[in-house]
Amino acid sequence: MKGLPRCIGIAALFLIWIAAPAQADNGKILRVTFQAAETGFDPVRISDYYSGTVIEAIFDPLLTYDYLARPAKLVPNVAASMPSISKDGRTYTLQVKPGIFFSDDTAFKGARRELTAADYAYSFKRFMDPANRSPYAFLFEGKIAGLDDLVAQAKKTGRFDYDARIAGFELPDRFTLRIRLNQTDFNFSHVLAFPLAGAVAREAIETYGNETNSHPVGTGPFRLKSYVRSSKITLEANPGYRDRTWDFAAGDNPADTAIVAQMKGKRLPAIGGVEISIMEETQSRWLAFLGRQTDIEYQLSELAGIFMGADGKLKPDFAKRGFSLDRSVDPEITYTYFNMQESIGGKPNPVGGFSREKIALRRAVAMAYKLEDQIRIIRNGQAIRAQYPIPPGVAGHDPAYRRGIPHDPRVANALLDRFGYRKASDGYRSLPDGKPLVLRYSSPPTEVARQFDELIKRSLDSIGVRVEFHKDRFPELIKLENECRLMMRGAAWIADYPDGDNFMQLLYGPNSKQSNNACYQSREYDKRYERSRTLPDGPERNRLYREMTRIMETDTVWMLADSRYRNVLLQPHVMGYRKHPVLHAEWLYIDLGQRPGT
Amino acid sequence: MLSYIVRRVLEFIPTLLGVVLLVFVLFNIVGGDPAYLLAGKVSNPAQIENIRRQLGIDQPYPVQFLIFIRQIVTGDFGVSWSTNERISAIFATRLGPSLTVLVPMMVIGTVLSMAAAMLVAYMRGSLTDRAIMVACTVGQSISILVYIIVFQYVVGYQLGWFPVQGWGNGFTENLLRYSALPVLVLVVVTLAPDIRLYRSFFLEEINQDYVRTARAKGMGEARTMGIHVLRNAAIPVLTNVMIQLPGLLAGAFLVERFFSIPGIGREVILAVERSDFPLIKAVTVYVAIATMVVNLATDLLYKALDPRVQLR
Repeated sequence: MKGLPRCIGIAALFLIWIAAPAQADNGKILRVTFQAAETGFDPVRISDYYSGTVIEAIFDPLLTYDYLARPAKLVPNVAASMPSISKDGRTYTLQVKPGIFFSDDTAFKGARRELTAADYAYSFKRFMDPANRSPYAFLFEGKIAGLDDLVAQAKKTGRFDYDARIAGFELPDRFTLRIRLNQTDFNFSHVLAFPLAGAVAREAIETYGNETNSHPVGTGPFRLKSYVRSSKITLEANPGYRDRTWDFAAGDNPADTAIVAQMKGKRLPAIGGVEISIMEETQSRWLAFLGRQTDIEYQLSELAGIFMGADGKLKPDFAKRGFSLDRSVDPEITYTYFNMQESIGGKPNPVGGFSREKIALRRAVAMAYKLEDQIRIIRNGQAIRAQYPIPPGVAGHDPAYRRGIPHDPRVANALLDRFGYRKASDGYRSLPDGKPLVLRYSSPPTEVARQFDELIKRSLDSIGVRVEFHKDRFPELIKLENECRLMMRGAAWIADYPDGDNFMQLLYGPNSKQSNNACYQSREYDKRYERSRTLPDGPERNRLYREMTRIMETDTVWMLADSRYRNVLLQPHVMGYRKHPVLHAEWLYIDLGQRPGT
Repeated sequence: MLSYIVRRVLEFIPTLLGVVLLVFVLFNIVGGDPAYLLAGKVSNPAQIENIRRQLGIDQPYPVQFLIFIRQIVTGDFGVSWSTNERISAIFATRLGPSLTVLVPMMVIGTVLSMAAAMLVAYMRGSLTDRAIMVACTVGQSISILVYIIVFQYVVGYQLGWFPVQGWGNGFTENLLRYSALPVLVLVVVTLAPDIRLYRSFFLEEINQDYVRTARAKGMGEARTMGIHVLRNAAIPVLTNVMIQLPGLLAGAFLVERFFSIPGIGREVILAVERSDFPLIKAVTVYVAIATMVVNLATDLLYKALDPRVQLR
């Protein structure tokens, strides 16, 4: 009889063991590469994609996105539920789940440090502290009640007062955060899901001072194990990560069913760590992948023709080796803008203004541009034509919309003839008043930019418009652009968060000299944009976006170009991978099977 | 000797000032405003002004130049503008990997090229000499990029003798495993020009009267070449090797990039891409100082190798 309780105890332990999802397997180390060096892991101090990816794995924002749902769908992360939003769209109330802890760190002096709502208030304030010069301050600037006053005070005193209470961040209890906005904004939840908006612990930030870039302490699924700057970043599964199991419903992609079957019920993270090597050169990354030294390869667009057929599928010899391909379109647009101001630096701007002949010139240039060549030659076929200023996968995208400016050099020539841009004996046109017509296209001195220059030249030659190229270093181009002093330049915008507002703000008048690089000022556009900001995602806002797109097309502010494919190659033992449009550290949601030869 | 060294050290000062002035002017004219890079994708004039103030680039140029001089004197170049890492820490952590590749390359390359140069000089005019010279001319005409790509593909990937890239945690592992392929590539790249150059040094010595005299006195060829010719030809060889030494500080950036070696060369390229002036300043100043010190050391070594040399 004495052995009975022991038997029952052992049986109970066995049942608990088989019922509980397995812990992260420390032997499963995912090996990936970055094609450029990171800059650091302090969420407020960085702006590059690679640092952001690591930060996403270490820190927890209040909200996040469903792994498989497309378009991206907001879901709670450490918040107990989605925020409660007041009727006027100006107050967001969130509850932080209790029992979530920061990973152990000497900054906590041996104690376990629980995540609270105050950590988010502190973390959001850090974006606005002038000492941090955060590249993402614009996410909070002008939005939170009282926060801008704190900034003004900090500029005067030289110290940002983190202890000062402001109306914008109210903490009714330890786990409740009430955010008051200056204006109605039904889409602020996207900011709360922004991967860099994760919580940092004030003790850790104060302990590490200027070294916060190399000492990230978060509550996320991974923590930094070792770090050789610009060379190797090693993450390990956070042993104190909260109980979380893989539980996503299949989306519209047929591959999702298999992913759900492989992953459902697994404890997250399923892998024990991630080893990230910085490899700038494509050949090194390609050979490392082929030699099975890496498990996932994100950036091989230049080599797409080697492993992928014209149908976008893996070539048979690569498929035979067990590799698989995850192909998606990035939530981005590329475009060439026209400076819409009448003059630049006191000189007349041939493409700026709203007179009919100026619109005709811009329209003709847009019609002459050989976008097909851009996609076929420069993009190596790895892009799709952008039809709408909001790309696919982003709330507000209209899949039915078709751009109203076709490629048609014949009509473009006729348009210029009609509005008095006459051709001289050398084949180039002059302005309607007889003065020379010379467009100026700015670009940096890089190989890809040179290809674009050639394409622009060929396109404009087809309509007899002379173009000269202004080459300058990237920082100088940005500087001139911010001063509205460039006539034409190619640009790209990738979603910070998957909401149409992130794209439509690019043409909002008051954003001139910031993100509105065309310096476009349209009362009709701005009126609709301001109205759209007060609306949640839905038919009414989408109608406004369509109208704004038509206005922008009518004025021909941009030559909308393309959105690029992201081709992710996977080794046979990688399970559950699917590229998410805005999350980049999908490592949390995947697993690794047996590696060949092990 | 001591007065010579003191005089040469004093001459360092105007030279260094010239270098510092040149770097300062070049960065401020050609370098672009880093504030616009650091501001991220959306910036406004207030943010740009805040960044410029924090970096100190809102100060008048003379003030910025004086700060630069102070940094050289104190050896404290502050922190990287893009990563906030201390410049001293960057040097401390990146020099090791660079030297792990470049020192073996220099030693192996020098020994091999001297041996080959002596051999072809000795066999001058023969088929072997001509064949090696043609091979060197061809080899010298090929870009280092081609060597890297071919060796990485054939030796690293196809034959699998070495990892195609990477860097470990221990010195032995890095030296024997990860450095092997980059060292091999660099040795092959430097062999061709070095053999041609050193061959000319050996030929010059072989035609000297003292060699004819030694042979006439019945001295063996091995002793004549291995001791007398080698010792005299070593002076210009030494000059060539010493000239290359300061370059070790800047690393071999292409090799470091392709083989993912966390060296100083790769860091310099990153600094240029990011307009990270503190690091660019530090590297330039250190390379300039190293060049001057090495030149002085070379002159002193001349004296040690050849007592006829007078230091004035």
